[in-house]
Formats: sequence, C-alpha cells, structure tokens
Amino acid sequence: MKCLLVASESAEVLFHWTDLEYQQNIQERYGAAQEEGEELPAFEDILSTLFAPIIISYSTMEDSYTSFTTEDNHIYVLHQFDECLYIAVNGDGEEKEDDLRRKMYVMKKMIEVMFGMVTLSGNLLRKELRPQDTEQRTRLWKYLQSLIETYTHLRDNDQSFLVEAVERLIHPTLCEMCIEFLERSLVQKLNSSVERAGEEVLHAFILVHTKLLAFYSSRNASILTTPDLLALIIMAQNLYPCNGDLDDPSPEDIESTSGSGPESFYTPEPSPSSRDSSSSEKCGRGGTPVFEFVDPDIQMAEDSLHTLEVGPPDPSTPRRVFLDVSLKDGLYPMMPHSMYCLPLWPGITLVLLTKIPTSAVAVSVYKYLEDFDKLEKRLRDSQGSSAAARSPLNMQDVRSKLDKFIKALGPNELQFAQLHSVWTEFKNRAFARGKSGFTKDLIPLCKKMKTQLCGIYRQCFLTDPPDVSHRLSLGLQERAQAMVREKLMDWKDFLDDFPGLIHFICVDRSSGQMIAPSLSITERTTSELGKGPVAHYIKNKVWGLVRTTRRYLQKGYSTVTLRDGDFYFCYFLWFENETGYKLDSVNIPELSDDSPPIGMLACDYYKRLLRYYSKNHKGETVKCYELLTVHLGVIPTEIILQHCRQLASKLWEPSRNPLL
Amino acid sequence: MADLMLLDTRRCVYFFLYDGSKVRGEGDPTRQGICYFYPEETPLDKQDLLCGQLAGVARCVSELSSSPVRTLTLRRCKFAIHTKEDLFWALGCSMDVPTVSVCELLEHLINIFCFYNGSVRQSYQLNSKESLAARWARYLSHVQSGPSELCYFFRCLRTIDSTNVDPLLFLKAALILQACQRCPLVLVGCIFFRGRVVSTQMSPQLTMKVMVYESEIYTKSQKSKEASTSSPLGGAVSSTAVFLTASELQYLQSAPVNKDLGSQTAPHKKDPPKKTRLSRTLSDTPSSDSETPLQSPFRPHLSESHDSLFSPASSQSAESANPSPRSARTPLSNGRDSGEAEEEVQEGSYRGSFQNEEDEGSHGDSSVFTETHRVNGDGGAACGADGDHRGADSEKKLAGDPGVCCRKGLKAETRHPPPLTFDGLEESPLVPMTLYMYRVNGLVLALLVEPPFTSDTNSMKEVNQSSLASLNGLEAHLRAVAPVAPGALGQSMFAHYDCIQSTLKTNVSGRSVGGPEHLFVRATSLLHSHFCDTETLQEAIIRNGSIAVYGTRSVAQETYFLQHGGAQRNSGIPNQQDSAFSLPSKARHKLLKHGVNLL
Repeated sequence: MKCLLVASESAEVLFHWTDLEYQQNIQERYGAAQEEGEELPAFEDILSTLFAPIIISYSTMEDSYTSFTTEDNHIYVLHQFDECLYIAVNGDGEEKEDDLRRKMYVMKKMIEVMFGMVTLSGNLLRKELRPQDTEQRTRLWKYLQSLIETYTHLRDNDQSFLVEAVERLIHPTLCEMCIEFLERSLVQKLNSSVERAGEEVLHAFILVHTKLLAFYSSRNASILTTPDLLALIIMAQNLYPCNGDLDDPSPEDIESTSGSGPESFYTPEPSPSSRDSSSSEKCGRGGTPVFEFVDPDIQMAEDSLHTLEVGPPDPSTPRRVFLDVSLKDGLYPMMPHSMYCLPLWPGITLVLLTKIPTSAVAVSVYKYLEDFDKLEKRLRDSQGSSAAARSPLNMQDVRSKLDKFIKALGPNELQFAQLHSVWTEFKNRAFARGKSGFTKDLIPLCKKMKTQLCGIYRQCFLTDPPDVSHRLSLGLQERAQAMVREKLMDWKDFLDDFPGLIHFICVDRSSGQMIAPSLSITERTTSELGKGPVAHYIKNKVWGLVRTTRRYLQKGYSTVTLRDGDFYFCYFLWFENETGYKLDSVNIPELSDDSPPIGMLACDYYKRLLRYYSKNHKGETVKCYELLTVHLGVIPTEIILQHCRQLASKLWEPSRNPLL
Repeated sequence: MADLMLLDTRRCVYFFLYDGSKVRGEGDPTRQGICYFYPEETPLDKQDLLCGQLAGVARCVSELSSSPVRTLTLRRCKFAIHTKEDLFWALGCSMDVPTVSVCELLEHLINIFCFYNGSVRQSYQLNSKESLAARWARYLSHVQSGPSELCYFFRCLRTIDSTNVDPLLFLKAALILQACQRCPLVLVGCIFFRGRVVSTQMSPQLTMKVMVYESEIYTKSQKSKEASTSSPLGGAVSSTAVFLTASELQYLQSAPVNKDLGSQTAPHKKDPPKKTRLSRTLSDTPSSDSETPLQSPFRPHLSESHDSLFSPASSQSAESANPSPRSARTPLSNGRDSGEAEEEVQEGSYRGSFQNEEDEGSHGDSSVFTETHRVNGDGGAACGADGDHRGADSEKKLAGDPGVCCRKGLKAETRHPPPLTFDGLEESPLVPMTLYMYRVNGLVLALLVEPPFTSDTNSMKEVNQSSLASLNGLEAHLRAVAPVAPGALGQSMFAHYDCIQSTLKTNVSGRSVGGPEHLFVRATSLLHSHFCDTETLQEAIIRNGSIAVYGTRSVAQETYFLQHGGAQRNSGIPNQQDSAFSLPSKARHKLLKHGVNLL
C-alpha cells in the first residue's frame, strides 16, 4: 500500500508511482462512486480526481500540511518543492513518516540528476515530467518508477543506503592495483583515443553490487560528491540489478590478519542476470514482490498506454546526468555529464563519467541564471528605482557577455530565437536611454529570462535521444570493458567471495564512507547471526535503530543508548581533527519535524553539520564520525562502552588506502 | 500565575468543534458549522479557513484510506483529530508536545464534555451554542491548568503531597468513602483537598473528570470567600448531572463486593471480565463510542476500592450542624446501625460499617476484618498500587488554580438530566448519574450517586450523617498540615509517571523557557514519544551538548532523570568514564529519596 505522487498546483499529475495494492485500492475507491458498467478512466486521472481536494486545500493553507495519519495507520506526507507538490502515502506500516519524507527527497534528487537546471523552471519541469507524447511519458514514468523501486529496495536491504554513505570493499592490494589500472591504462587510453568524440573521461569506478572496489578521478576533474555518487549507484543498480541479497555477504571464514578490527568482506556470489530490463527488474528480490509494477496485467489496467512496450535501452547509450562540480571560481550545480555503465560480470560494473564537449555552455547558463536571480531579488527587496544604482551587480558587464553568448549559440534554433527576443526586450526596458529601467517592472522580464535560459539548457543537454556522434564510440566502450575484465579476471572469484566482519556500522561523514559487517538474511548465505528469523529480526532492529538515532540527531542529541528487548544499542557522533584529536562536542542545531531527511543522498545534512561545527575551528580540517553498535543486553554497560571505544579508535586504521 | 496561563495557552494553539451537517449547501457559510473555536478572539476568516480546510481535507483523506484521520500536521502545529458522524474536533498543539499526548488530550476533553453534558449532538439540540462554548472553554482551561509543562505529556491526577501528611488521615478518608457507600444509591466517591486528590474509589480517568466540577466549585468558593462571608459552618452541598459511559458503569459494577442486600445471588455473573490492571494505560480512557447498551443502569453498584486499607478511625466531634441548603438532616445516633452491621458480618456481603467508624477505636471489630479480608483477596492489585496512588507530587501549587476559571453561566445546582440518554447518532448509551459534592472549606467529598439520591431525603441524611463529623475532622487536620516549601531543584531533575494511577511526581515545572528545566522537558517529550512507539524499549540515555537525560519504563511507570554538574567536557566518542552512562545508577539512588523505586 504505497504511493508517491507528484502534482502541479492545479492538481495535474506530473508523476505517480504506486504498488499494486495501492493501485487496486484506489481503483476500488473510485469504482465504488461510479455507475456500473462505466469504464474506469486512466489511472493517473483517477489519482488526480481523488487527490485534488488535498492538493487544492494544500495551496489554500498558509502554514500548510506536512502529514496526516489515520486510525488504521495510513500515513500521508506532503512536501512542496518549488511548484511541485509531492505526496507520499503508506498504508501497510512498512514505512514511517521519515521514510516517506526521505523517499520524496530522493525522488527530487533523482529528478535533478536527470533534468539538471530544467528543474529550476517550474513550467519547463512540468513539461519534462509529463511529456505530451504518451509513449514518451510512459517510458519516462516507467524509468522513474523503476528508480524508486531500486532505491526502496536498496534502502530496505543495503546498509550503505540505510546510512547513506558509500561502502568500500576493503582489500588494499586489490584496490591499489585497480586504481592504478584505471588511471594508467584505462582513462589515459580512453582520453587519448580519437573515438571519444570530444568527450573526456573524468571519473571511472568499479562497483561490486553497491560497493566501491576502486575509484579514480582524472587530475582536472572536480570531486564527485557523496550524494551524486550514491545517486549514480542507484542508477547503475537500476540498470544492472544484482540478485536478491545486495547487502550480502557471508563470512565463511574470517581472515584475521591482525588483532582486531575489520579486515575484509565477503561479497555474495552473483547470479546471472539478464540485461533485458523487464526481466532483470524481476530478478531475485529475495522472493519479496517489490516489483509488482511490471506485472503485465497491471500495465493493462494502468492506462491506455499499455501497448507501448518500452524496449530495452541500448546499453551503449550513455545516460545524461547532471552533477555538482566545483571549479576554481565556485561551485556549479547540475553540470552535464555522460554516464556509461559497462557490465563486467553480473553484479560487477564499470562506470565511466565523462565531460561532454559543450559543457561550457552549462557553466555560462548557470552564471546568467544566478545573475538574473540576484537581480530579481534585489529589485523585489529595493524600494524605488535607485536599486540598480546601488546594486553591485554589474549589469553592463552581464549585458556584453550575454550578447556574445547568444551570438555564439547561433540563430538557427527556435529556442535561441526566443531567448534572443526576450533578451532584446529586456535590454530595451532596462537600458532605456535617459533613465534607469531597473525597477520592479523588470521582475517579470527577469523571470522570463530565467525560463529562456533553462530552455537553452534543455535544448543543449536534454534532447532525446542524445546525439550518437557525441559519445564514446561503441568500439571504445567495448575495449574498455574488455580491458577491465581481463585485469580483474584473476580476482573475479575473490570478488565473489569477500571476507566479512562483526557487528556495527561506522561512518566517516567527511568522506561519506561507511564500514559495516554483513547482515545477510537470505537462504543462500549466512552471516555470524546465522540465517532465518533471528537474523531478520536483528536486521529490522538495526534499520529501526538508524531511524531512531536520526530522530534524536534531528533534535540535537548526538549520543544515544537504548535498552530494547534483549539488545543494547549505542549511537555516537563525534568530531576529530585531521590528526585524530577528538574535538569537544557542542550543541548541534535542532531541526523541525519536516526538515530534510538526515542523510547524504537527497540532502547532505552532514556537510551542513561539518560547516556548522567548523565555524569554531577555523583553519582546522574537521572530520565527523558516527558509530552504531548492537550488543546483547546482558553484557554490562561498561564493557559495551569499552568495546565501542575500541571500535571507534581502531576502525579506520586499516583503511588508509587511497580509494577516493 | 498570569504568566503561567500564558505558557499554557501557547502550547494549545487551537481547539475547535465543527459540525459539518450545518454546512451542506453550496451557499452555507462555514461559520454556521463552527460550534466552538479556541482561541475565541481568532478572526472569523481564520476560523473559517481552519475549520473548512481541515475538515475538508480530513474527510478526503479518510475516504482515500477508508479510515478516520487521527492526526494532521502543519509546519508549526500538530492537530489531533476526532470525527463522529458530521462532528469534527481538532486540537492543535505546538510541535514539542508528543503526538500521542495531543491525541489523549483531545479524547480527554471530549470525554469531559460528555461526562457533564451527555451526548454532544443532543447537547447542541438542547442548549445554545454560547452556553456550550462556555463549557468547552472551561474544560479546555481545566485540562491546561496543570502545574507543570509535563502535564501536557502525561494525563495525571494531582494528588495531595503525602510526605508530611499523617498516613492515618488517608485511612480516615478511605473510611469516610466506604461509609458513604453504605447507602445503596451511592456508587463511588472521592475526597479532594484544595484541588488535590486525598482518596478516591474511582479509576484515575473518572476521578480526573470529577475534578473538573470540583475545581469549579472550589474556585467559586474561593471567590465568594473574598467577596462575602463564608458560611459559618463551612460546608456546602451541590450536585450536577453527569453521564457515565457503559464501560465506566460496567467497571464500577465489576467491583468485588456486592452491597445490595437484596440481591446477593452471584453478583459477579453479570460482570464483564475485569480489566487487567497492569495493562491499563492512559489510552484506556473509555471512549463514548463502541459501548454496548446497558440493561440495568440503576442497579446499585460498588466501586472497586482503591482504599481498602482499613484501620479504626476516631470520630471527630460532631460539632457542626449540617449546612445543606436542600434538605434538613439530623445526625444519626451512633448505635443506629448496629443491627445492620451484624447482618453484614453474617451475610458477608456488606462492606465497612460506619457505625464502628463513628465509635471510637473499635480495633477488634469483626466486620472490619471481614471487609479488609474480602477486599484484599479480590482486589489485590488495587491494594498494591495504593501506596503509589497516594504518593503525591512534590508540586507546590495549591488547588484553586485560576486556570480553572469560573464561568458564570453554570450553576452549581442540579441540572436535571433527561432520564436515560440513548443518542441515536452516537450509538452509545450514556447513563445519567449525579455527581454530589459536599464541601467543608477546602475539603470536598464527591460522590457518584444514582439520580434519585438527591431527592431521597433519607439517603442524603444517612450519607451526611455518616460523614459529616469525620469530614470536619479530616479538614481540620489537613488544613493544619504545613505546605512543603518548594524544594530547591538541587542536583537533579526527575519526572516519574505512574501509568496505573495516573500520577506524576516531578521536581520540575518546566516553565523557565530556555533553562535547563526546559531542556529536560523537551528530552522527556522525545523519550516519552519513543517509549509509546516502541513497546520493547526499556531504557534510554540521550545526550546533546548540554545535558544527558536517562529514561526508563516498565509496564507501570515511566521515569526520567537528569543530573546536573558532572557535564565535563567530552568529545562524544564512546567513553566508559563518561558521566552520562552512570545516570541509571544515580537515578536509582537519588529517586529512592523521593519514594521512587527503580529496582
């Protein structure tokens, strides 16, 4: 009984995802109010009709709704992002309010990664999310739906998505070898090939399921942020889902190389998965029917678009992704990249991120958007017309640059012509002879300019399908794939059988990495906990613990210990400087209940936390760590704490290999 | 006290009752459906907006989920919602109040209303919107009048501070109540002193409801004292109609002792399975829906006695004549009921013998032992909890809270109820009863009686005679007890909630905004929510940069503890030397002094 709905203010459905149960529930509810024999309208229309009163009431209220609950524990969470209202519903008790809120933020993040700056214009985003063309709409919605399902599955089963930090495979020798190989052999070779068609490989990494085996960034590449990396892992995982137990591994024999601490992992043996998208979506999700949406009957019922079966994507087609980039002169969000996912073996994937030749346009567009945004704000805040005079914004400078920019774009396309005409209108109004045109009257034109700029951006980076000539050639991709396969061949079996750990989660929030032992609950593998109901129970406890500690962290509590049933849980968050010196704890800000979820994927809470803490530690590099542990309740607390202390101080020691 | 009220109102942001049936047509204005809106000074447009939108959106969500909406959260305010047919209640509180507490508070409010007015629908047919608005306002003000911010989180009874009250006085109070029950028309009773419970035979929930009227009477008496001369005899009688839900009545009937001489035959047969006391929680407050119709509401009932401890009480001099304005009473002669007492012993069906109580020190009285034995045998759980129940909070505040403001519209005299209310709309029969109160200065004897009681001169006489002297004595003693000085907070703060007796012990008022008390209250709010959500959770320690709070709970209690001082600098990394982790042992140690045993 789950649903996620994105609607415009006028109650138009921009996107929806429901599970089978919820869909049937909604159809029954609608059908009950209908004349007999009447055919059900398209599902999105039913949703629109039934949710309209909520959506309209939402926009009527000043301090508007953030959630509803009902007597039988249906939960509704509402949040507006710009002009889109997101509504997430759960009626089966599997998700709590914070899960739903997180899901909405993740959805928004994925949309940003897919559409970049187009999301800055409500109007364009609406068109983008709800294409007129029904075939296109079906394809897009299906893709977004599968992303949600992949994310939900990862969130519920993969510890790295539970705590939202990247998990690495820890094997110094192998990792070092791979990084060296990626740098010297692969990326260099690709970037010197003529077949790269102007693209430049910036980042290359190898994923074993959701875990990072090796990551290499070229020298002139900016850092890939943890939120972006997590989003890309979701996309890769969506493209090549691995079999059921993502979170894997069984420590069949723990390779103990030194006295304490985690040394190694086991990863599960991957089972073959088809590349065909529909069948791979279904492939072994541990027997839980997570992916009902691909049930053919449902597609029939869903709407009239069912005949348009979407073919499997061409694996050589890169996906356009928009990622944060920090250049010398500042941070540029949502810069276009191409993402190539090359499967090596089932569950093992090589991902290449390239810079596209025209990406400079995106930087310019972003700068102009910022300029017009600032101008608009200034005009709105200022009284009278002298605003422009006092404004430090040099609009003359913007004017000459934008003139050149438009000229360089070329007059051929309709979009460019529109931008040109709006810009001319703006100039006529703003730089009118004799008087300053920078008054409040200019605000609508600022808005228009922003929309036009987003339009240009859309035109440049979101045309579908991407230009075949602007991508790494198929041959080049295949060669890269073959090279890495060859290199890893000897290690393949090892990768399938990675050594495991004991019981806790430790996260380095500064680097966005986590270490955790396996919590495998499937039939095939066993962890120290064994398998079956006990392991399952503990898994649920761990998931619940993370939710609980986030709740306390949101309210400013950075240490939590809980005696719950037979278990004793601990959570610690602390700061260190670069030399490992433990810094004093401070009061961390208390957030409201509807604040963005605490995590790194959708909204980087820890980045803000580090910034907040660093204010009083100027000139020092501050690192933030978290430790969660689960112990048996019968163990004396002192011993538990002692153990936690040991874990905290030793955990990161063996991981001093340069992975990221 | 003024700032006290301000703080209270800040927590409860909105409360309204909206009748959707009044707004059916297109042109019907929303305000036609607004039965009551708090704060009353809210601009009408805003009232319209909130009522209309919230009721509308709640209906839509209820239809989508085929389940009534329970909570509705805005960015800065959370609402508990209750719907019944077309009636829509919403109680909005600030975000720091645990959601579970907001829901309980709303239920409690509605229950109070139904207790004093019967069915909501019918009340609105019989009375004007304005007079009922005044009642809502009074109930709302009453539930908000708790001495501590923590009263928002825990529905609690305010009990008298037992620490410097002679335990014999509690026994005396219990005996008075038992004596009153000899009258077949008396169901159960309780005794209050200055707005605090001294002894009660009712469930905490029912006692809380009764206290609303008590505080009203008390406030009135305080006022009249200032305004005019008080009655020389210091006593006054008043009564009001009340309505019990079927489950409350059944609960009363399920008492272990049957006092009806005529019907001794297996009185337990009709009793519903008794509630397991240990599982009783706040949410057990009987709601007015889902009750089964009751066949014989007028059968005399006995309460389950919470005050089964028994000891001889010396009689006070029967110095005062009965001041009842409504009936002439003559004191009973001491020996009058001796025959009856014997009968009781033989039949084994009678409870306390008030004759013996009136006599001086009859230690060896067989009926006394019979009584004690019976009650202990049948109501052991009640006895066990008794000590706690009497344990009073160390609150300083005396009764007669100005929060319980006195509304002029309501008179203390009996409002005659319709015979038996079967409200078609609410489908649950509310059984009319009478709440009879007898006041001696700050002391109030409150009895739930069958409606005929107030017109039954003999019964009244009997009850008044039996209790008058004892009440006067009790009042004199309680008055002599020096109020405890507000103890300095010292090195620790704590809150201890007894879920069975609904009592709260705390040394925190939580009214210093931003101070350590406020931090403690906020932590308590979070932990209480967590305990309510997670059944298996037994204890928790949480720490931020300033404080560490320890919370622990069992089936019967929740305790929160904070220790000042030892907040030495720490990094937050796990450390067994950390003072936060010694909180559990400190709490056990320190709270023993307050009579809280965490072992």
